[in-house]
Amino acid sequence: MQKLLQERIYSLSVLLVLVVLCASVIFPSTFLTFENLRQILLNLSTDTIVAVGMMILLISGVFDLSVGSVVAFTGCLTANLMFFYGVPVPVAVLAGLASSLVIGLMNGYLVAFRNINPMIQTLAMMGIVRGLALMVSGSGIQNLPYWFNALGQSRLLGIQMPVWYMLLAVSIFSFFTSRTIFFRRYYYIGGNEKAAELSGIDVRKMKMYAFMLSALLAGIAGILLSSRLGAALPTMGRGLELRVITAVILGGATLSGGQGKIVGALLGTILMGLVSNLMVISRVSGYWQEIILGIILISILWADQSLQKKYS
Amino acid sequence: MKNVRTLKRYAALILLTNLSCELPPRDTNKAVLVQDAYRTETSVEDEEYVMITTAVSMPMYVNHDQAAFLKWGETRNVKVSILGPADWDVPAQINTIEEVIGTRPTGLLINGTDPAIAQAINKAVDAGIPTVVYDSNIPGANHHAFLGTDWYEIGKMQGQEMARLLNGKGKIAYMGILGLTNMDQGFKGLLEVLTQYPDITVVGKFDDKANVQEAARITSDLLAAHPDLAGVCGFDSNSGPGIALAVREARKSGKVMITTVDWEPEHLSLVKDGTIQMLAGQKRELFTWYGAQFLYDMVHQTNRLSTNDAQAGITNIPAIINTGLIRITRDNVDEFLKP
Repeated sequence: MQKLLQERIYSLSVLLVLVVLCASVIFPSTFLTFENLRQILLNLSTDTIVAVGMMILLISGVFDLSVGSVVAFTGCLTANLMFFYGVPVPVAVLAGLASSLVIGLMNGYLVAFRNINPMIQTLAMMGIVRGLALMVSGSGIQNLPYWFNALGQSRLLGIQMPVWYMLLAVSIFSFFTSRTIFFRRYYYIGGNEKAAELSGIDVRKMKMYAFMLSALLAGIAGILLSSRLGAALPTMGRGLELRVITAVILGGATLSGGQGKIVGALLGTILMGLVSNLMVISRVSGYWQEIILGIILISILWADQSLQKKYS
Repeated sequence: MKNVRTLKRYAALILLTNLSCELPPRDTNKAVLVQDAYRTETSVEDEEYVMITTAVSMPMYVNHDQAAFLKWGETRNVKVSILGPADWDVPAQINTIEEVIGTRPTGLLINGTDPAIAQAINKAVDAGIPTVVYDSNIPGANHHAFLGTDWYEIGKMQGQEMARLLNGKGKIAYMGILGLTNMDQGFKGLLEVLTQYPDITVVGKFDDKANVQEAARITSDLLAAHPDLAGVCGFDSNSGPGIALAVREARKSGKVMITTVDWEPEHLSLVKDGTIQMLAGQKRELFTWYGAQFLYDMVHQTNRLSTNDAQAGITNIPAIINTGLIRITRDNVDEFLKP
């Protein structure tokens, strides 16, 4: 019981079950249907893929505010190459992903090797990359090739592909962060950077890799989102960075680093997706959504602190 | 032997996966016209009409679109709901549309701002929900009706007024939210008119991010870089107040001409005091009032046009309505100012 209350992923799971139970009782005909649950998962799929990268960054004690812009830019660049230059779908997708890696490399290099504050660096990059997205797509690119749209619009077992990609990303990185030495190092770095360095971990390189991975996952999310929408919009991913950081913190990460699990990122986005869905079903205005999410975040953190104190 | 068995298992798994995999349809534009299917058997009080906007908090939307929609609901004695993201977010609007479809509202009134929402609109239509789009039309969508303004005409109106105010010569700049399809149409309309005036120089297109401070900052920078700047055109609701703020602070009111969109109280008072010369206003109340009324008429089959409209392959509401523009200058601004 003590462990259940102390571990965020357990307490969050309990909260999720309670929310689902209550929603099923209050909205029996609309909430607990396959279509609605499928839609909730689809709507949170791209956010979760980005949240996986953000979780790894936060575990190592840094964060990236440019992910929302990377989502937009990658989608727009890929669409631009296919639409205006007739580049084949796989090549355009690879070029889009490569561009996201370059952005991650730049963020990582400047933060880790040039000691620029991550908030300032990624805030600046957020503006630069959003501007580039506008440059390559104007007011957006529609009528994308069929096979590109198929990436995000196809279904497997009745569920749209972005949900499967999300589950794949969560599974792979859950395994990596819990079972591989390479990814376990991020916990040491986040826990005590100096000690990690003294124990022989190349902290700078590791941080740079984390930024690259986060940008790559944001790039994948951008391509999936464009493919799902059948259009690339320069406004995609606006506000995504804060949504994702909120979800990741809900899921057990802290801004000081060293804590968090990939499954926590998924649970955090699921909670946010559920709240958003329940707002729509109960016809509550979008104004309330952010207020309620803010209250949930503060309540969870407050409850967490109280429980930690009680059991420590 | 063991390898062969493993291979067979993998082959079976791949086959099963392929069989369960469903590609998206190639033709997404198939028209659906089964009007009788929209007929509701529920009482009027149980009917629910849902409006889904791209940003529920935008003052212009709240004061015009949403106010008229709520008033319509009250007048008709039906339930009306307004949903959508708090701030401008097209993917979030799409998510909301797709989530609302499952709750089966009587009718959907969708704020059209970006062609990317076409698929979500088609999902609503395919689900048998009467769907009307307002504001900007959405190519590739099968909605039952559209009401709105032609943004190209908004741009043209501003271009013609600016050319008249400057007597066909001078430096101008224009700003709005870059990356939006409707605004892009407005920019095109403006530039189309200005090509007829070779003595008017366009110094640039700027993104004010729908933010008053940003519009003011851009304008003051422009005034510093081009002291002879003669005019600025604004394309979003916050452009006008921002441009006017910078022009007033530079003590150039009446010297730098301003044309912009929308007619919120602050826009009107800026026209009254002579800082802004013209407003190209939309009749937004008509978008949502008549949009909702079209949904109602469709559901209640107010006007049957044939013995069986469904079999005839028609709807009983107008397909496209251009609500036109309002030109507000100092000459008629008093008529719009509330006492």
